[in-house]
Amino acid sequence: MSNIAGKSYAMNVISPIRSYTAWLNKFFFWISSKFPSTLKGLITLSIIHYAHWTIVGKNQFPRLHPDQPRETVKYAYMMFFSNFNGSWDQYVDSFTFAIPGGLDMFWKWNIRFPKSVPLTPFHKYIRYNQLETIHYYNATPLAASNDIKSAKAVSNALLDFQQHLSDTSDADFMKRYNALLRGLQHDLGDMYPTPIVSMAAYHVQRRQHGAADKRNKAPHIDEATTTSHGVYDYVE
Amino acid sequence: MSSNVSGNAYALTILSPIKNSYTHEEIAYADVVRECLQGWNMEKNSPMALVPNTYLCRYFVLDDVVNQSLPGAGALDTLSDLLPLVPDWLRRRALPAQDRLQSRYLVFASTFHGDLDTYLRGMWEAIGARIKEVWKYCYGFEQVDSADTFIAYMKRCQLQSALFFVGSNDDALDSQLKALYLKQEFAKFAIDNQGRDATTIRQHMQAFLQRVDPTNLTAPTWPAGKYRLTDEAAS
Amino acid sequence: MTKQLDLLDIQGNVIRAYGRFGYPMARYVFFNIKKSDVGREFISKITEKVTTSVEWGNGVGEIRKPDWTVNVAFTYQGLKELELPTSSLIGFSAEFVAGMKQRKDILGDDGPSAPEHWDKIWQRNRDQREFDVHVFIALNATGPNFLEQAYDWLCGLEKEFSEGVKILSGNSREDDPPMDYQDVKVVIEHGVPTAKEHFGYTDAIGDPVFEGMPAGSQRVNGRGKQMNDGSWAPLATGEFLLGHFDEANEYPPAPEPRLLARNGTYMVYRKLHENVATFDAYLEDHGQKYPGGKELLAAKFVGRWRDNGAPLTAAPDAASKRIFDAKLAAADEQGRDDLLSDFTYDHDMSGAKCPFSAHIRRINPRASLQMVHHDGDTPGSMKVNPDAFDTCGALSNRRRLLRRGLPYGDVKDRSRDDGNHGIIIMMINADIGRQFEFVQQQWVNYGNDFKAGNDKDVILGNHSTDPECPSKAVIQVDPDSDAAPYFLSKIPRLVVTRGGDYFFVPSLTALRMIADGVIDPT
Repeated sequence: MSNIAGKSYAMNVISPIRSYTAWLNKFFFWISSKFPSTLKGLITLSIIHYAHWTIVGKNQFPRLHPDQPRETVKYAYMMFFSNFNGSWDQYVDSFTFAIPGGLDMFWKWNIRFPKSVPLTPFHKYIRYNQLETIHYYNATPLAASNDIKSAKAVSNALLDFQQHLSDTSDADFMKRYNALLRGLQHDLGDMYPTPIVSMAAYHVQRRQHGAADKRNKAPHIDEATTTSHGVYDYVE
Repeated sequence: MSSNVSGNAYALTILSPIKNSYTHEEIAYADVVRECLQGWNMEKNSPMALVPNTYLCRYFVLDDVVNQSLPGAGALDTLSDLLPLVPDWLRRRALPAQDRLQSRYLVFASTFHGDLDTYLRGMWEAIGARIKEVWKYCYGFEQVDSADTFIAYMKRCQLQSALFFVGSNDDALDSQLKALYLKQEFAKFAIDNQGRDATTIRQHMQAFLQRVDPTNLTAPTWPAGKYRLTDEAAS
Repeated sequence: MTKQLDLLDIQGNVIRAYGRFGYPMARYVFFNIKKSDVGREFISKITEKVTTSVEWGNGVGEIRKPDWTVNVAFTYQGLKELELPTSSLIGFSAEFVAGMKQRKDILGDDGPSAPEHWDKIWQRNRDQREFDVHVFIALNATGPNFLEQAYDWLCGLEKEFSEGVKILSGNSREDDPPMDYQDVKVVIEHGVPTAKEHFGYTDAIGDPVFEGMPAGSQRVNGRGKQMNDGSWAPLATGEFLLGHFDEANEYPPAPEPRLLARNGTYMVYRKLHENVATFDAYLEDHGQKYPGGKELLAAKFVGRWRDNGAPLTAAPDAASKRIFDAKLAAADEQGRDDLLSDFTYDHDMSGAKCPFSAHIRRINPRASLQMVHHDGDTPGSMKVNPDAFDTCGALSNRRRLLRRGLPYGDVKDRSRDDGNHGIIIMMINADIGRQFEFVQQQWVNYGNDFKAGNDKDVILGNHSTDPECPSKAVIQVDPDSDAAPYFLSKIPRLVVTRGGDYFFVPSLTALRMIADGVIDPT
């Protein structure tokens, strides 16, 4: 199992909501999506790649066959899926430190949610309701969310620079080149394999790497359409 | 009021009920599914690396819901603080009930670029055999034998997102990968050319732009799922 | 500041950096406990002499400032040897139980900083039971005679209890000659004691101020937490002392029983060797190319000018530095302290004055993490995003560290790296994982929160020794200027770890109870 893929951590949380407040919860979420200023704190934190919430009504668990028994749950359930950078502690802590109000607005409907301040009961609540990921895939494991955003800035700036390469004087060229660098002065951090965020995860990775080597598994079918593959390891 | 979509990005949540039976070796189907997914972790890279436009995705098996038991500030608890006459049986009835799921579910949550049908078709065409490996024990999957039937099946398993937050961006994956490649290369270029004169930098810049080819999303670039610096994209 | 702390119960080194109170030298001695009951008697004797945080004075009824001080701390193995009950032991934090050596991958102690290059005492620690470091005793003194007096006293105790305790040797990389202690002392320049370290920087200006600290209100500007209205407030006591509310409005996780933890804290001891030759050469090399010159560049590494610690936010170039120096010379003591310490990054959100990878910005970003760049803003600029967070300092307030310790060794030959000189740093915090390890891993050896990818703290970072992945840093410029940012390339590893471990610093009450063997959380 692994909640980690490169610089990203997969968090899955499931928690019960009273059926009669589920619609209110959905409504508040919908408002947030329409008014992005409510998410200002999340945006400034800048550590989330993508996150989504879903609310399953008590009769909304997928039923695909008459042989499948009907669900008889009394509560609706909220499921939360986040892809974020840093360790679990860093993520949960930064929510509590920076945007406790926002957190409370999203989570308060969940039964027995203890509010996001003080910290320890909130930590316990999230851990209690968290489910481990078995398989986690990240297309850009060497990149944090900041790196993805910076990369776009670099790409746009280079494309723009390429268009105007026919400057006449050296002085003009240097001016534009300096402006190019200056404009990207917060976007040129190097990308190397992540810091280790957890000793347990690190050891599991090393064991898996060792086991994969021993089994000498061949890469899959359909390699023709792809480029070369990376390996799940943090060892250079 | 669903928010599966944000710009060009899509948040997909799939809950596929797993048949409540077991194999010849007396292992529950749900456990076999989990074992299969665990096996994916041992491969050189995830099979999902072959599915176009997948930003991030995850698989796990939902055995049961999580029941709450933490003492809380429920209304009846507070009331019983204020009014000692609230009978205990009433107060205890206010504690959260226990729920049980009747089936175990395969959960697949994916964030990708583009529309749902194209994505699912791309997934079937790239890794149809692997999909069957994982989903074959799920109710209703027997009908699936083509991209179209796969798409229909997944839509029956789909949960709608109530809120989707995009922190990175909603560009196509190959744009993101190309941009990352450019960022890493340009940082090196900036260092290598620090302190040089304008003519030299201009020459080097032209050669650099030719080499990295910013408009060409196919190559040179980073491959999807690139973990190590040494893995270069095939040209 | 209205909170009153029980200063008689808290060990003195927690509240005070002795170096600032007239103790320019110290000796750190490490003990192994061979027999538990004798070990407890030894601790009992030590405790009688332990220096508390009580305020000193020369008046009637006041406690005179001692000529030498004594403070004590324990590793997890040490607490086990002293026979603390298991139900108490399991309440200590996972990081403390594991010890620093085992956490090396989290801390980035790799390559030349890896344990196989550590001082012998730290290599042998947690390797063979008879060489485990159990007890740390710090002796600070006002002068060399008193230091020797203190050490003689301690050696006398070792002899008296030799059946159960022994001083561990090996405070260097060879066992010959045997080093039974680690000496530290202020750096002397031209016969005058300074607050400098071996790279030439003036150190020890920044240090958090928390509720209940004596005279805290005089030093809180720049050292407490930055508030939304621009003022400074002391941090919650529980960030640095167990048994008190912390910034999250709760008691920090602590072992049971309450009396064991209350007024105690965790301490991280690290010996850091400084590669002075590499530093000088690197500074010389880039100093010639950097517009602004060598001393400004040296200031950009750290965020303060070397000679007097002037912060770059107040003195971003040579001209403003001259003005600052004049003000500093004319100011009184409080004024001087404010000039050096009372600043924010609110007017330097792009890093043009103090770069994002400068040491002091990395270890204490103040309120600068509440930053944003909107489409349409000047390229290369960041600005404050007001009210994005609950409070402007939200992401920094719980990552602060009290710093204690002094430089060690003398640099005999600046053209060499292999001398015996550096800093002993002791960091005090209520939660090793949330405070020290977080800062070390996420802010010193990594740069994502500073929009700097994997770029590290210029001075402290564990810069790569692999030529395929050279380490770099960006020195930002004013986004409204015509200048280009300056790139520090191929940064060598300037500071190297030579050893250390995690310790628990008990209160006086806890010390007496540990010594009596009466801790019982039933």
